[in-house]
Amino acid sequence: MKINIRRSRRAAAAVALGSVLALTATACGDDGSGTGGDKGDEGSGKGKIVFWDNNGGVRTDAWKAIIADFEKANPDIDVEYVGIPAADYQSKVETAIQGGGLPDVGGVGAAMIASFSAQKVLEPVDDRLAESSLDGKLNEDMLTSLKAAGGVDDTLYSVPTSANNGVLYYRTDLFQKAGLDEPTTWDTFYEAAEKLTNAKKNQFGYTIRGGAGSIAQALDAMYGQSGITSFWNGDKTTVNDPKNVEALEKYAALYKRATPSADLNNDFTKMVAQWDSGTIGMLNHNLGSYQDHVKSLGVEKFRGIPQPTGPSGKRVQVSNPVDGIGLFKSSKNKEAAWKFIEFAVSHAENSKFNESAGQVPANNEAAKDAWIAKAEPTKLAAAALNDGSTTIVQLPYYLPDWGTISKADNEPNFQKVLLGKMSAKDFLDTLADQLNDAQAEWNAQKG
Amino acid sequence: MSIKEATPVVTEARAFPPPPRPRASQRAWDDVPRWQIYLPLSIYLLFTLIPFYWILLFALRPTGSTSLVPWPMTFDHFEKVWTEREFGTYFQNSVLVGVATLVMTTLVALAGGYALARFNFKIKRAFMLGLLCSQFVPGALLLVPLFEIFAKIQMINSLGSVIIAETVFQLPLSIILISNFIKNVPPSLEEAAWVDGCNRLTAFRIVVLPLLRPGLIAVGSFAFVHSWNHFLFALMFLNNPEKQTIPVGLNTLMGADSVDLGALAAGGIIAAVPVVLVFAFIQKWLITGFSAGAVKG
Repeated sequence: MKINIRRSRRAAAAVALGSVLALTATACGDDGSGTGGDKGDEGSGKGKIVFWDNNGGVRTDAWKAIIADFEKANPDIDVEYVGIPAADYQSKVETAIQGGGLPDVGGVGAAMIASFSAQKVLEPVDDRLAESSLDGKLNEDMLTSLKAAGGVDDTLYSVPTSANNGVLYYRTDLFQKAGLDEPTTWDTFYEAAEKLTNAKKNQFGYTIRGGAGSIAQALDAMYGQSGITSFWNGDKTTVNDPKNVEALEKYAALYKRATPSADLNNDFTKMVAQWDSGTIGMLNHNLGSYQDHVKSLGVEKFRGIPQPTGPSGKRVQVSNPVDGIGLFKSSKNKEAAWKFIEFAVSHAENSKFNESAGQVPANNEAAKDAWIAKAEPTKLAAAALNDGSTTIVQLPYYLPDWGTISKADNEPNFQKVLLGKMSAKDFLDTLADQLNDAQAEWNAQKG
Repeated sequence: MSIKEATPVVTEARAFPPPPRPRASQRAWDDVPRWQIYLPLSIYLLFTLIPFYWILLFALRPTGSTSLVPWPMTFDHFEKVWTEREFGTYFQNSVLVGVATLVMTTLVALAGGYALARFNFKIKRAFMLGLLCSQFVPGALLLVPLFEIFAKIQMINSLGSVIIAETVFQLPLSIILISNFIKNVPPSLEEAAWVDGCNRLTAFRIVVLPLLRPGLIAVGSFAFVHSWNHFLFALMFLNNPEKQTIPVGLNTLMGADSVDLGALAAGGIIAAVPVVLVFAFIQKWLITGFSAGAVKG
């Protein structure tokens, strides 16, 4: 028996060793299956391409309709749709950059461009766009925003599909009952927040975002009130400007006085859910949740208007990430992939997509379509973005550290500000130091 | 390196039910007023069940309703996730991954556990230590190497990749657990079977395996539940929506800027039901399994 055991053990060891060596050898090789370093190929303009949707599930139906139209118009190209949950998209792409399997085309919003372009996985699309039928037909501000987000040499790495915009949603029924004016200025906003609050009856004037995503919303409120129109003054950020400090103090003071105490941990899901199901006067979010409010409240009980204007009468907002689709450098069929991008951002398809998403179309002709007039918040947002009444403060999406600074590093500190355990000035000074360091580092890397 | 059969250790007492509780302590337990038992349990139960009620409420009440009871009741959210959002397909895939992981983990853990329990070999302690240490390696750390390996052997986009990865991550703990269960079965039982003419495999199958039922259920249910809930491997290794599993499907119900809470709650219930049923069915054996595995001499 012992002899048998020894023999079988040796055989098993040999098989195991062989398997390990075989797997190691194959894993070390490069078969060019779409890893970050691949240069790809133009291809024949026919065959299969893979498209990764960066907001899978929610936008799946809209993209499938676009793909069906595309395949009808281009019968020799097949598009494989892969819907990826929004929260996990970046990690999925990062894994594919390291391990292979990048798609031909994928959603690349402003918030992700810096990371992807720094790893050189995106194909610059300026030249393709210049030769395309889309040239001159896309919203210039969105193009500028995406170029700026790339952070390198004013290169375009993603073709814009839509812009989201900050919206102040308010309950028309509650405002009417309380005899309040529309919150079009920050003064009327604060007045309404106080007057609509009756904590004993579980009624509140506002719901503040204290959890994930709180920093962008706080910055929006700060710059909106202070009227400062640029994020940078030279190489130093303006976030801790005394006017912004004062604005944040006023805004954070709303917590508990005019908001539910549970707001401390509000991410957008909780914030939207409690506004849709409770008795809360106002909510700051973007166009993306409009359909959720319609489903819960109906169109009669609320309106979504652009952010309030400041004392000067001007509206200042921070930039919401522009969404777009990019061509991955490793694609073996770039010609077909570009055809798909062109088609998806064409007038008819871009209009269809944004009507479903409730966002502002990147295609200028699509932005004039009739459905825009029917979706009031989108119409108002589009007007605010295009009629010159709004100044957009561009957030530094191009900084590789922006994601960490605006989330993990400072969201807990913002909660301390809400709880009164940290002053607004200390919070903004800390934030400013980190931003200034990140900017200096980025400048040094650029050379 | 040579394998020697482990010296039989007399552990016959552990194979049998524990002795009855001493009469005095039983009396002391009986003397505790009922409310002192039921009140804390009720409070605990309340904390546990309220979130479940909340999920049920969102799943069963119409969109836009703020009622605290699910009335009027609607199954629209379930219909939506099952048909429109393809949870029917996700469910099938999750069942396949869960059952395959359960079977593979249990079979390999049985073989590995038996070797650890019944044989002495030179690197046995180091091997055990390695198994324990592997528990400290998070799955995310091995994601890229695993992805590369599966890509090279053409297994990306195949449920097989998820099943293999889940099995590999389940095995260390499962082997340790099963080896403890096997150690608790007296070797003399196997030896008696050998004397009666059985070979090692037959003796194991006829004599040892039936005694391992609680252990197998504990290990199998862990493997099933873990693979049922696990999100990362399915997200990374599977692209085709028709191959996705329930946890990834649940995440697609949460958009970048909007969430369909009714659909999310309905999806959550669909995801939870099999796990609840599995535990309801096996809890008797599971508790026996845990306590048996916990006894070490």
